[in-house]
Amino acid sequence: MRKTTQRQAEPGTWDQHDLLRRLCHALDIAKLTVDHLAANGYADTRDPFKNIRPEKIIAETAVLLLAASSAISHKEVASRIHAIAGQLVPHARSDRAKIGLCLEPSVAWDYALPHVCLSRIGYGDPVFDELLRLSLQAQSHAGRERLPHRMLEQEWAAMGWARSKHASRPDALRLARLSALHRPMDLLAGTRDDLYAFTHALMYVTDFNLNPAPLPRPRAVLLAEAEAMLAWCLDAQDYDLSGEVLLSWPMTGRTWSPAAAFAFRVLAHVEDQAGFLPTPSTRVDEAKARTGVERIQYLLATAYHTVYVMGLLCAMSLQPGFPPPAVLPVSDKKPGSAKRILEFIDADGKPTHWRDEFDQLTGPQADALAGFLLHIALRRKTASRDFGKLYDLLNVAHDLELADSPAASQAAELLERLAAYSRISANAQRLPLEDASLGTSSFVQHDAEGQQATA
Amino acid sequence: MGNLDQHRQIVKQLLDSKAVDFTAIGKVVAEAGPSLSLAEDPGDFFCGVNRIFIRVYRVTDPGTPVENLGELAGSTGVLQG
Repeated sequence: MRKTTQRQAEPGTWDQHDLLRRLCHALDIAKLTVDHLAANGYADTRDPFKNIRPEKIIAETAVLLLAASSAISHKEVASRIHAIAGQLVPHARSDRAKIGLCLEPSVAWDYALPHVCLSRIGYGDPVFDELLRLSLQAQSHAGRERLPHRMLEQEWAAMGWARSKHASRPDALRLARLSALHRPMDLLAGTRDDLYAFTHALMYVTDFNLNPAPLPRPRAVLLAEAEAMLAWCLDAQDYDLSGEVLLSWPMTGRTWSPAAAFAFRVLAHVEDQAGFLPTPSTRVDEAKARTGVERIQYLLATAYHTVYVMGLLCAMSLQPGFPPPAVLPVSDKKPGSAKRILEFIDADGKPTHWRDEFDQLTGPQADALAGFLLHIALRRKTASRDFGKLYDLLNVAHDLELADSPAASQAAELLERLAAYSRISANAQRLPLEDASLGTSSFVQHDAEGQQATA
Repeated sequence: MGNLDQHRQIVKQLLDSKAVDFTAIGKVVAEAGPSLSLAEDPGDFFCGVNRIFIRVYRVTDPGTPVENLGELAGSTGVLQG
């Protein structure tokens, strides 16, 4: 187990040495990952679902190096970045990547992303540039349809290739307005894919603060939604997405909300306890069943991604003025707010890591997180279809002046829709279908036929 | 191993396991197929190329929790700082 979290004794910002230690740990794991997995990826003979393509590992390592370059003024970071970059270059510009540029110009940026990231930190290659240029000139170079956040990724890669530190990004805002960043997220029934789209769109728009483009909505609006997503991820102990959502704060500004600051503490605590930021993929029994290189590769393959996410978070937090607060801020929430919301959460009896950290807080600090607790409770009650408790919860939130969040508003809308359904359903039982106020739409008919046909 | 190879491997394992009852599926198709073939369902034809009766999805098990943190620390040497 690693040494425990270092925090400054007085109110202020998170200890810089601790952030550096965590970033260097991520970079050390990156070096091992490149050593063991960059050439061939990972093929798990026992569980093919754990297989990883080498391209994914190479690209994600290159992105980590680019993001970490914002902290390259620290010599321990610089030495690691240069060592890993040197290792990564032959993989990023392998014959496989070069032939890919020739054969599949519609995914040229995907093949070139590691090259672009390495070029941006000083490891250019004019030969690869020339092949990439030819690929981008192909008639079919734009011949693939992509989701908006993937379109943003393409724009981001193209901007990076322009090499100018402050290259203009005329398309970034237009594409961001097509993405999940431009419209309210579904905070009660959204999926991991939705969160992935949000977090990655934000990474590409902000360029890890190296050359950010304008946000499509105000920071405060985006973060209000991110806060609900963060609560959901922490409660699910999904530390991969928790870290990616938490990046929303340092990638867009210098201030951390109480919930974001708390989430950073939880991730740091979990990392200290496990020695790395874990996911459910890393299983103790599966690790113990392997020995030698096979065990090392298993551990790296199942853990490297979330380790990188923690590295990204610390790199972003190391920018001057961007670290999270060392001591959780208090707010003007009503005293006892947290306790009233916790009653809804404690009824579930679900042990979580965030709760261990929460129980160490003072009363005012806990009350500052009442909104965070509300988001957890809203999501849980919605997921368990306990709409009676959801109603009660909203009433309590209203009493505590917490009901002005996007998630609370969406929960109120949900209850309205269910009430409407209840009325319609009751009418339908009393009246013949043709007399009911809401007739069966052609969409419903079509959908029913489709269901029948595919049953 | 490429994606295609992985998919083939998974499909082969499923077939070998006899987890899919093709006889039962065939019986349902035999019963419902004729009427569905004649159904006027725009853009979606039983006898056309768009109909896929069986899909196998990879579902991430949301119920699998993160392991005990202390046990992870004790058995993941290479990941420790």
